[in-house]
Order: sequence, then C-alpha cells, then structure tokens
Amino acid sequence: MDVGEKDKFELEKRNENGINYQGSGMSAAWQFAGGGNLTSTPMSLVPSDNPLVIGSSSGSASMVDSFCSNLWEHPSNSQSLGFCDINVQNGASSSNAMGITKGGPASMSSSIDRQFDMAWNAASSMLKGGMFLPNATGILPQSPSQLPADSAFIERAAKFSSFNGGSFSEMVNPFGIPESMAVYNRGVGLMQGTQNVFAIGGLKSVSGVESQKSKLIATETSGDACLKTENRATQESPHKNERRSESLVWSNEEARQENGGSGNESNEAESSDGVGGQDEPSALHSTGCEPSAKGVSSKKRRRSIQDVETDQAKGSQSPVDAAKDGAENQQKGDRDQSTVMNKTTTKHGKQGSQASDPPKEEYIHVRARRGQATNSHSLAERVRREKISERMKFLQDLVPGCSKVTGKAVMLDEIINYVQSLQRQVEFLSMKLATVNPRLDCNIEGLLEKDIFKSRAGPSALGFSPDLSVCYTLLHPSQPGLVPGGLPVMGNNADFMRRTLGSHFTPMAGGFKEPNQLSNAWEDELHSAVQMNYGAGAPSNSQEVNGSQPSGHAEVEL
Amino acid sequence: MYNPDHTKPGSLKSRFTTRFLRALSKIHAHKPISSSSPTEMFQRYQRIKAAADKSMAYSVRSRRTWSRAMLWKLRTRSCGRRSVKTSTIIKSQQAIMKKTRHEKQNENTTTTATTGEDGVGFCVEEDELREIVPGGEAMDLCNLLDETAHYIKCLTTQVQVMKKIADFYSL
Repeated sequence: MDVGEKDKFELEKRNENGINYQGSGMSAAWQFAGGGNLTSTPMSLVPSDNPLVIGSSSGSASMVDSFCSNLWEHPSNSQSLGFCDINVQNGASSSNAMGITKGGPASMSSSIDRQFDMAWNAASSMLKGGMFLPNATGILPQSPSQLPADSAFIERAAKFSSFNGGSFSEMVNPFGIPESMAVYNRGVGLMQGTQNVFAIGGLKSVSGVESQKSKLIATETSGDACLKTENRATQESPHKNERRSESLVWSNEEARQENGGSGNESNEAESSDGVGGQDEPSALHSTGCEPSAKGVSSKKRRRSIQDVETDQAKGSQSPVDAAKDGAENQQKGDRDQSTVMNKTTTKHGKQGSQASDPPKEEYIHVRARRGQATNSHSLAERVRREKISERMKFLQDLVPGCSKVTGKAVMLDEIINYVQSLQRQVEFLSMKLATVNPRLDCNIEGLLEKDIFKSRAGPSALGFSPDLSVCYTLLHPSQPGLVPGGLPVMGNNADFMRRTLGSHFTPMAGGFKEPNQLSNAWEDELHSAVQMNYGAGAPSNSQEVNGSQPSGHAEVEL
Repeated sequence: MYNPDHTKPGSLKSRFTTRFLRALSKIHAHKPISSSSPTEMFQRYQRIKAAADKSMAYSVRSRRTWSRAMLWKLRTRSCGRRSVKTSTIIKSQQAIMKKTRHEKQNENTTTTATTGEDGVGFCVEEDELREIVPGGEAMDLCNLLDETAHYIKCLTTQVQVMKKIADFYSL
C-alpha cells in the first residue's frame, strides 16, 4: 500500500530533480520570509544558514544537520523528529545525488523514500506555521530556498497530501500545508498567464491567515509566480496542476476563505478531474491509482465541503485517504464515508468559521478504512502498527543483509545482533587504539581527517607518505618496551613492530585488504585471544598472534 | 562511490572525528605507551572506549534519547556519588515503562486486532533491544525503533572512523 505510492512518488520526483534547483534568487526572499514566519526561534537560523548551494551535496547535509538540530528543540516532536533525522542523514549520505539528478533508480528510490519520510516528519514537527512543505526529494534544508522557486514543489506537496496515509496522518499539519499550498495552487493551477490571480490568491490567503504565515505565502507567491513562468513544459505540469488544484480545494477550506474558496473549489475540482483524465497518459510513472484516487478525492472534497464539522480534518484526509485507498483497491467508487476521528479531535471539532488556526496541530486525524473497525482504540492501534512497520522497514535498509528477512521477530533479532556486533567492534577498535602508539610528530589530526574523509581505498596510499619513515624511527625506540607485552594485542603489535622495523620485510599481503575483512580478522582473533587468559598464557597467545599475522595486517614495504 | 557527507564540515562524522582525535591525543599525551602492564593497557582501553562513546554522544548532543542517556551514564560513572540517585531514577523509569507496556499489552489483547497483526508480539526481542540501546528502557516501541536506527547509524560512523584511525596508526 504505502510502497506502491512511494514508488510512484519516487519516480515522479526523479524527474523533478532537474528543475528543483533553480531560482536561487528566490531563496533570499524565502529566507527572510521564513525567518519572520517561524514561530519557533531555532528555525529562523535555518534559512539564514542556507547558502545557495542548491544541488550541492555539502550544503544539504550541513543544512540538514542544522535544520534537524533546530527541529529537535520541539520536545513534543521527538518521535517524528528522530525519524526525520535519521532519514535526513541517511538520505543525504546514501544518495546526495538527489540534488544532482544522478544515481540509479534504486538508490534514488531508497533515498527518496527516506527523504520522503524525513520530509513528512519534518513537516509534522515543525510546520505548525505552515511554512515548510516537505521537500520530498529530500534536500529539506534547501526546501526553504526552493519553495518559492520550485514548480515541482507543488506536486510534491500535493503528493504529500495524497500519499499521506495512516502512517503519516499524524504528521500532516492540515493547516500548515494547505495554507502554503494554497498560494502555490492558485498560482500554478491557473497557469495560463494568471499572475493576477496569484496576487489575488496570495492576498486572499494572506488575509485569511495569520500574519506570520501570510508573509511567507506572499513571498512564496511572488517567487513562485516568477518561476512558474520560467519552468514550464514538463510533463508533470498538468499532473501538478491536478495535484495543486486538488490540494487547493482543501487548502481553501483550511484557510477559511469560503467565498473565493468555494468558487475556486468547484472550478478546481472540475479542472482537476479534467486534468486528471488528460494526465493519465502523460503521467510518467503514475499508476492508474493516482488519477482514480484523485477523482475519488475530488468527490470526497465536494462532499466534505458541505461537511462543516469535519471540514478541517476531511480536507486533509480525504485526498490522503483517497489516494491511499485508491492505491490499495483501485477505483473504489463507494468509499467508507464514516470519518472516525480520534476522540481527542472531536473535542476540537473546528467549525468552518474559525477565525484563526491554531499553529499547532497535535491530534492525529485518522480515517477508518473500508471494512475495518472504527473503534478509536483500534484506529490508534492501527496507526501505531503502521508506524512501527514503517520504522522496521527503515531499519531493514540500515542493517545489511536484512532485505530478505520477513517477520518482525526475526528482523528484531537481526537488528539486535547487528547492534551488538557494532558495539563489540567499537570495543575492539578502542582496544586496538590503546595499544598502538600514536605518531607524535606529524599533524595527526589533519592527516587523519583528510584520510578519514577519503574513500576507503585512501588509507593505503598514506602508507607511502614521507612521514612514515620519521614515525618508524620514533617507534623503534619504543619497541623494547613493547616486546615483553603479555597481552595478545601487545604481542601482535610487537610482532608487527619487529617485522616492519626489523630485518625482514613482509611484502604487502595481497594489497591493502578490505577494512572489513581486516577488522573482522582482527576481531575474531582478538576475541578468541581475549577469551583465553587475559594477559597470560603467552605461548598460546603468541601462537595465535603469529597465526593471525598473514591473514590480518597489511604491511608496508619500507 | 564517495560519500559526500564525509566532506561536509558539520556532519556527524566530522564532528565525531575531531572530538575523538582530540580525546585520543589527550589520552596519549597523558600517558605515553611506555609501560606494558596489562592493567595499564586495560585502563587505557577503557578510557579510549569511554572517549569514543563520549565523543559520539557529544556529537549528537541531546537530540537523541540514547545520546542523552549515554552522556548521563558517562557522567554518573565518573561521579560515583550521584550514581545511586540516577540508578534509582532509571529503575523507577523502567518500572513505569514496564507497567505501561503491560497495560498496553493487556489492552491490546482485549481489543480485537482486526488484522491479526501483533502489535505486541515481539516482547523478548523488544526487551533485548531496550537493554542494548542506551536509554531504551523508557521508550515505547515506536520511539525505540527510531532511536535504534539513529544509534545504528552513529555506531557505524564510529566504527568507520575508528577503523581508519587504527589503520592509520598502525601503518
């Protein structure tokens, strides 16, 4: 269910990447607006920090870090934030080519997946002010700068709303997203030379929204308008129109601009249906689910418009659940219209005439699927299960060799084993570091950082640096101190010293071995050695040590 | 394929590397490897391990439950007299969590799970995971999985960096 939509999303996003990183000039305006709009002070740092490194990997990860560091200030959002952070960093690390429109589909999809998730979490946690729509291509820190400039942003935002199934429903800020989307949708949905409409729409939304958001939206509008004229003629644009108009509808509801909203809604609903029909052949990778989902959601929208009481919730949920269910059971015309809100949300039953949206939406809006229990308990349980399964999937990606594992229990076992092995590796490496004498003369930090930030094959090249000779001479005097070591590691080290500095030189054993194998070999021998008498039993240890030498260490030929 | 975040100045890897290298140099400066006694070796190993954990936890700051728990543990380990208070706090937290978990389980078993999927099926592994991940006792499964994912990521970074350092030193 979720996977299918994700795939669609990924594939479409891939095409958007090419047009994502434009309009850097807009980012300045965005940043100011963003800074002013943010209710939470940490967020204001993000736009100012964001250099216009659109498309550059270095910028994104640092922005991601700072961005997420700001996110973490919200204690209530720790859960989704955590997910976000992981996703962010993982996404940034795994395929930063996202910003460079490179990388194979597989990597992109996985990274998009994570970045997508990250975006959702970011949205949920922070976008109380409706500022940041999740930039599902994952370069979230760039999203502030890109938002006004990104025509693909709207599609993503729309997709976000439609994709947002039960697992993400809690992350939807029905106020924030639709409001900011309203501007976009107005601007882009009426694309044929409708800059006036943009302005009007922007103003309208400004009036109906809190002042904080209004600034943002105004800037967005202006930036978006400028860029929309530039970025044109993509296959996705009709697609986006559809999405935008779709979200425009329920975003209008949220913004409580009934007059213009309802008029626009009917227009947009129709246009969305029309466009949806056109878009089907042109949509690059969207399955049949999407248009059908949109059709369904548009029907829902009309119905929900009249439903004042569940106005706000439905506005966000109907496209969401429509898309989700559309993906599951294609073209389900008759939907389960019984909206089951969480008990907490009913208390907040917003009428259509509210003056101001609360900046924070803390309640989970969940809709019961067709044929499922509508008990609030089971709903909450279902949401929780979906969240857990989502995270399990993510963990599956993290833990190597777990793609074939099915079942939560086995998966958890694998995860536990992996964490334990990592912890043991850290212990082993710290032990190894405890025995190795550091080079005292050279600029260790500089060299090391350079080394560490190189690729894995890098370290072998350092073996031939001129520093080595100096260091070996340094090591030589300490050799006598090391030789009588009783520890297996010490014995290892002493052997190594003797061999490198002594008479016979061992040629590099098959080149520089893979660090993995190396550490594994070391780990194995060390662990087995440690299990024996620690610091005693020298003969057996030395045997072990000697036996391990050929398999373990790569010697440098002096 | 180069991992681009290696070169980023503010990435987790770089933060951890700088901190850990600083700590390493401090440790080595404090007591250069001239003696060979196993106890001293062991002490040094423990110090280095603590330095690694500390650097990693500090690189993450308090953004994560596990980093906070780890920092707490490290601090209280150094200060013995506070350990009693923190251990009692942790134990009470664990007790509360266990109680709520049991309550949740009971509630879940009574309310019918329509899909038959067990939301509480993997208790044994869950508890194991809690023990492994620092600070995992006081979290529900959902957050625990989040923390585990981030913890795994940080551990892999740590292992990578330490491997490179060790290789560099032993070359």
